[in-house]
Amino acid sequence: MRHLLSLPRLASRAFSTTARQLKNKVPERQKVFLEDNGLPVHIKGGTTDVLLYRLTMTITVAGTGFSLYWLLLACMPKSKAQ
Amino acid sequence: MAHQAHAYHMVDPSPWPLTGAVGGLLMTSGLAIWFHFHSTTLMTLGLMLLLLTMYQWWRDIIREGTFQGHHTPPVQKGLRYGMILFITSEVFFFLGFFWAFYHSSLAPTPELGGCWPPTGIITLDPFEVPLLNTAVLLASGVTVTWAHHSLMEGERKQAIQSLALTILLGLYFTALQAMEYYEAPFTIADGVYGSTFFVATGFHGLHVIIGSSFLAVCFLRQVQYHFTSEHHFGFEAAAWYWHFVDVVWLFLYVSIYWWGS
Repeated sequence: MRHLLSLPRLASRAFSTTARQLKNKVPERQKVFLEDNGLPVHIKGGTTDVLLYRLTMTITVAGTGFSLYWLLLACMPKSKAQ
Repeated sequence: MAHQAHAYHMVDPSPWPLTGAVGGLLMTSGLAIWFHFHSTTLMTLGLMLLLLTMYQWWRDIIREGTFQGHHTPPVQKGLRYGMILFITSEVFFFLGFFWAFYHSSLAPTPELGGCWPPTGIITLDPFEVPLLNTAVLLASGVTVTWAHHSLMEGERKQAIQSLALTILLGLYFTALQAMEYYEAPFTIADGVYGSTFFVATGFHGLHVIIGSSFLAVCFLRQVQYHFTSEHHFGFEAAAWYWHFVDVVWLFLYVSIYWWGS
């Protein structure tokens, strides 16, 4: 019973990322993004930014091509084989 | 930045408007391709692109405001106008569906039995789960206001707790509504009653999910010390949106659930 009663206290200690352990990392981030390196904000954060940008652009270009392909296909008269 | 002699924000060139537009193209053409050619690839690509665009675009706005200091008072004023205009456009969106509902329900046709609710429709009891849903959303309006005041007074822990409670209430509403949808004695295909009910409440439910997501992002930002007691417009925008969602529900409840039953 005693163990059960101490459960709320133990749970809040285990999951207290919000109250105690999290440090304010905003000043560090401000330093990174205020650096005078001429980089635009969408890739100024580092390697992850560049990778995510490249993935997004790849889908954009490939997707546009893909939609044009399907458009051409949709424009074709229906062949009897289908 | 020491380079500008004005308080306005000249944004860096960004690829996200283009990727977002292409995402819209892929989703719409993808929908047509799904209907006619049974392939969901294009639509899925479009959805992925839209999600990637939203994530990166809003991430960049947070960087520009919180880390680069571009959101000066005049810039913030512009953002406020923008959010107000957006919510106004959403009000008109819902007005259309209310117009449809009142058009059909104020003068019910002979095909419906000349009455509202139409013959054969078993309506939901407005004093059961719908009333609970009303209480849940009203309570969430109180908790989001509590969160705002906590933010303004610099009460970090209270702001986190009340914001968390608001999000939980939003999720509770969604769960209850999902259950109602499953248990409802009528479907979207049940004439104009079904159409107006599920389209109006369905779009509202989608907005609850959007609002809850917006609040969840604010929660994460508050935990990471992004907001100050003077400057927290992202949260205010989320709170405005949440109140809008709440008000739409009140109109839905009174019109469709209560008067329409």
